[in-house]
Amino acid sequence: MRFRADVTTPLTFLHVVQTFNKLQQRCIMKFTPEDMHMICSNDISEGGVQVWSQIKVESLFTEYRIQSNANNQITFSLSTDALLVALRSASSYSSSSATSGADIVMKLAKKQDQAVLTFEISGQSRSGKPVKITHDIRIELMRPEEVDKLAEPMCPEPQVQIILPPLAKMRTVVERLRVHSDLILFEANNSGSIQLTASNDTVSVKVEWHNLRNPPTAKVPSSQDPETASQALNERDPDEKHGVLVAFKSFQKFLNSHQLSTTTIACVCRNHALILYVYIGEVTDSGGVLTFYLPAVIDGD
Amino acid sequence: MSQSQATSEEEPSPLLVLSAYTTDLRHFTNLLRGVSFEKRALFDLTAGGIVVTVEEARTLLAFAFIRNDIFDEYIYIPMEEPEPEPQSSQETVDEDEEPTPPRPKRTLFEVNLSTVIDCLNLFGTAGTSASAVKKHRFKGWNQSAQDSDGDDDGTEDGSASRRGRTSKSASGMNASASANTKIDQFMSGSTKGTALRMTYAGPGHPLVLHLAESSSGPAATCEIVTYDPEPALELPFDSDAMIMKMILKSSWLQDALSELHPSCDKLTIIGNPPPAPGRGPTLTAPPRLRIKATGTFGTTEMDYPNDKEVLESCECDTHVSFTYRTSHVVRVARALQHSTKTSVRIDEGGLLSLQLIIPSPRMRGPKAAEAFTEFRCLAIDES
Repeated sequence: MRFRADVTTPLTFLHVVQTFNKLQQRCIMKFTPEDMHMICSNDISEGGVQVWSQIKVESLFTEYRIQSNANNQITFSLSTDALLVALRSASSYSSSSATSGADIVMKLAKKQDQAVLTFEISGQSRSGKPVKITHDIRIELMRPEEVDKLAEPMCPEPQVQIILPPLAKMRTVVERLRVHSDLILFEANNSGSIQLTASNDTVSVKVEWHNLRNPPTAKVPSSQDPETASQALNERDPDEKHGVLVAFKSFQKFLNSHQLSTTTIACVCRNHALILYVYIGEVTDSGGVLTFYLPAVIDGD
Repeated sequence: MSQSQATSEEEPSPLLVLSAYTTDLRHFTNLLRGVSFEKRALFDLTAGGIVVTVEEARTLLAFAFIRNDIFDEYIYIPMEEPEPEPQSSQETVDEDEEPTPPRPKRTLFEVNLSTVIDCLNLFGTAGTSASAVKKHRFKGWNQSAQDSDGDDDGTEDGSASRRGRTSKSASGMNASASANTKIDQFMSGSTKGTALRMTYAGPGHPLVLHLAESSSGPAATCEIVTYDPEPALELPFDSDAMIMKMILKSSWLQDALSELHPSCDKLTIIGNPPPAPGRGPTLTAPPRLRIKATGTFGTTEMDYPNDKEVLESCECDTHVSFTYRTSHVVRVARALQHSTKTSVRIDEGGLLSLQLIIPSPRMRGPKAAEAFTEFRCLAIDES
């Protein structure tokens, strides 16, 4: 089992890990020859939010070499805090040294009988002297049987897909809505409107955005058969609103990824889940996507 | 206006009792914040405007008078009083006489005021709450901006008030918060503030606030439950029985209140008659106005001299001294933030009436729309 890569854009990597760090203490990383996956599954994290992310290795790494007996895939779990510390240190060196650029090498190693993910950072200190820092993060390798059990949650076809407004703006409004309730109702229709509602016994507040885009199905990497999905969508009334009730906590965890996203697409699967695709980089390049599965809360009413 | 009726999911009522619209809800929000020390407030809708009343401990009463010209559009159509049915067929009804005397056209309901303010603040409007002021405190340029930007009435002499302002930033209650708003508005340029349409369809219907940011951004609708009004405390102030009236800048009063140690539980307001004419200099004369705070750790006395620049007007012919609970009087602090002048009046029974002028943050037309907030507090009976 061999694995090494040069990290070219530590800042993006850092933002991704920051999003995961806010969700859960540990996460699973799966490296394949083409992609890096980071997974946060629902058993441990509150509110049942699951995040699955897939990033093409070219977006983050160069000199990428991977080799293993398990189809050249390597999967392990590690602490997000430790990973965050390593990446913060790496990105601080990469930003300070302008000319040479820091060299950040990530590789798998075995130190003192323990498998670790190592970050070797060669940079320049402020006085110009070369400096070398090594971070070793303890990992737990996952066996192929366990890896096979990892699967994205099954979802029925969504009733509506819509591109969200800039997440930073949504974040401030959602924070104010949280005062009123623990649950938020997310509704969208196929004419480009979304509506967030929070209500309790004394007040009901709803916020609407209009003139948003509904993307055609082809762009969305969903696990469902794209043909039937788009056919079904065309038959529906575009103004009809489809909604799902989710926990505020989960929604805010998703909004924590606002630093990363250029485009975010929300898919509503009524009574089942709210699925949010956060794209890193251009949608067409599909450099990377974070998929948030927010389970629907079935209200007693 | 018919569109706003359509969006509300109530049974369509042909006439809304109230429909008020403004392009910038900050002034309205500030007026409400000034009296928001209790959760429940009484809204009294009339053709001339809205009076928001808040009461505490059957001792303190605060009114925010929101005149209709604070809104860009204000339409009030009171509900028809239903004709009472005839009690019995034996009752003779004179055909010339009306069965009931005409009732005054008022509409009253209670709402949770903190909820209303939370909803108004949904898009982060007013930059004049204490927390927002603390944010600005860290920006160095803002301090000098506060000093250079004159007070609203423009007659400020400078040194004393500037001292007052910089000391206030430490306590977080900034007397020049209204000046702060002006600078913010000037600097922020394009942010025109959030537009508000407030509607009420009558008893049993919620108060509906419809907010929209000026740019093509999100719109929000808030439906807030209303309640039937409870019998309200009345503290009428008898102007004929007034024994003391003084007008001073609100910043003086704010300084005084903020300097009070939290252990002082009683506040005594003392007014003194003017010194007899022909006497020597007024240095030895008792101060026209003295605020004395007493508590477990001691006493603090704050004196206001007989100076036109301090006490703009002073009517007090006898020695007046009444004591109030500090916890009630300091409720006026939030409203003082946006106020320019305060009138302090006390009547024979010791009822204290503080009337604050709160100007609109932006000039509209030839004159700024001024609003009034009044606080009335019963004196502690120390017989």
